[in-house]
Amino acid sequence: MTKVADKRNTWIGWAFFSDIGDALMLTFSYMISRPVTEQYPDTEKWLPYSRYRGHHFLKRNDEGEINCVACELCAKICPCDCITVVPYEDENGARHPKVFDIDTARCLFCGLCEDACPADAIALGQQYEFSSFNSSDLVVGRDDLLTKPGKAETGGGVVRARLDTADGVRVETAQDEGYNWWRNIRRK
Amino acid sequence: MELAIAIGLIVIKVGILIAALLLLPMPLVWLERKIAGHIQQRMGPMRVGWHGLLQPVADGIKLLTKEDHIPRDADQFLFKLAPILAMVPPFVVFVAIPFGESVSVLGHEITLYVSDMNVALLFILAVIGIEVYGVIFGGWASNSKYGVLGGLRTCAQMISYEIPMGFAVIGVVMLAQSMSLLDIVRAQSDVWNVVYQPVGFFVFFVAGLAEAQRVPFDLAEAEGDLGAGFHTEYSGIRFAFFMVSEYAVMVLVSVLTVILFFGGWNGVLIPLPPILWFLIKVAFFIYVFMWFRFTFPRYRYDQLMAIGWKVLLPLSLANIIITGVVFV
Repeated sequence: MTKVADKRNTWIGWAFFSDIGDALMLTFSYMISRPVTEQYPDTEKWLPYSRYRGHHFLKRNDEGEINCVACELCAKICPCDCITVVPYEDENGARHPKVFDIDTARCLFCGLCEDACPADAIALGQQYEFSSFNSSDLVVGRDDLLTKPGKAETGGGVVRARLDTADGVRVETAQDEGYNWWRNIRRK
Repeated sequence: MELAIAIGLIVIKVGILIAALLLLPMPLVWLERKIAGHIQQRMGPMRVGWHGLLQPVADGIKLLTKEDHIPRDADQFLFKLAPILAMVPPFVVFVAIPFGESVSVLGHEITLYVSDMNVALLFILAVIGIEVYGVIFGGWASNSKYGVLGGLRTCAQMISYEIPMGFAVIGVVMLAQSMSLLDIVRAQSDVWNVVYQPVGFFVFFVAGLAEAQRVPFDLAEAEGDLGAGFHTEYSGIRFAFFMVSEYAVMVLVSVLTVILFFGGWNGVLIPLPPILWFLIKVAFFIYVFMWFRFTFPRYRYDQLMAIGWKVLLPLSLANIIITGVVFV
C-alpha cells in the first residue's frame, strides 16, 4: 500500500505507469505459479482427516458381533430424526438391532449419534462419495453400515487417483500419503 | 495463361487467409482460457483433449447446433445484417497486410501478401472503422436495454480512439515516406520504429485496445454490467460471427503493431526465418492483449473519452510535430 502511494507521488513513477507495471508483474507472477486446482475425479483425490465426519459405519467387537445394543440413544439425539432402530433379543438374551436404517438424505453429519453412543457402536467414517440418483438408495441398512469404511488413519493430503466409469463411477486411489494441498496457496 | 496463374494465386492466397482467420479463434479461445485460468491459479480447460486443446472444437460444434434465436421485437433485417457487418471488415483488411517479402515454391517467387497497396494504411484504418457499425447495429436491432447500452457506448468511444489512432501512425508514415506497409517494414530493417516513436507506439496500442474492444476498454460488451452488451440477444452461429470478428480484430491490431512499430519480419540478433520472427512478435502481442484482460478493470466510457481526447490526442499531435521537426 505504502509502496504504491510513494510511487504515485513521484511524477516519474506516474509518467511511466509504475502502478500498471506492478499490476502486470503481479498477474504474471501468478500465471507462472502452480495452480491450486485439485483435479478431483480425474487424477487427484483428497483424503479425509481422521476427525472427518463422512458416511456412518457400525463397529463389531473382537468376536465379530455387532457392538450396537439397540438402546436407541442415537435415534433419540438425532436432530433430523434420520435413524430408525428396531431391537431384538438373540438366544443369549443380548439386545441387538434387527433394523438399523440411516436416511443419509436427511442426515446433516453432526456426529451427535457418535457422541451419544454408550457402546462405541456407531461412528462417522471417511467415505464421502455416496451420491445417488435415487433417494431410496440413500437409506442405508444395518448390513451395509457394517461394511462401510471406518475412520481414516492419516489423511489431509491429495493423492493420485484414477477415475473408473466402467461399472458405476468410482475414484480409485493407491497411495495413503498425499501432498499437502496448502503448499500451493500463496500467503503474504 | 500468365493472367490465369496470377488470378489462381490470388484466389489460393485469399482462400488460405480466410481459412486461417476462421480457424484462428479456436486456438486463441483456448489460449485465452488457459491464460485466464493460470492468472487466477486455476487450470483452465482440462478435460476435452490433451489439456483441453479440443475444448474450442466442442464449443464450436455446440454453437453451430444451437438454436439461432431472433427476439420477436427485434429488427429482423438489421439483426441478421449486424454479425456479417462485424465479421467482414476484419477479413477484408487482411488483404492489405503483408506477412513477409516472398518465398520461392517450385521455382516460382510467391509473395507473402495478397496485394501491395500504396495506401494500405489508409485502407486498413478506413475499412476497420466499418466493423463498428456491426456492433452498433447489433446492439440497436436486438431491441434490448443491454444491447442498446452496449451499442451506445461503442458510438461514444469510437470517435475518441479512432482519431488518436490515425494520428499515431502518421509519425511512422513520415519516417518511411510511404503508406505502403511493405515500404514501412523495409524502412525498419536497421532500427525499429518503436525506438524513434515510443509515444506513437503507446498511443497506437492504447487506441488498438479500444479498437479491438478488449479490457480495459471492452465497454460495449462489459459482461459485468451489461450482460453481454451488444450481443446479449445473439445466440448460435450469429454469436460465433461476433466472436470470430473480435478475435480477428485482436490479431489485426497485433499484426499492425508489429508491422508499424516492431519491424515486421526483421529479426534481431538471432537469425530465424523472417516469417517466424513475424509470428513470434504477433504472438507476443496477442499474449499481451490477454494478459491485460486479466489484469485491469474496465474504464467507464466517459473515462475512455477523457483518455482519448485529453491524453492520447495531444500526445499524438505532439508526436507528429516533434517527428516533423526532427526528421523532415
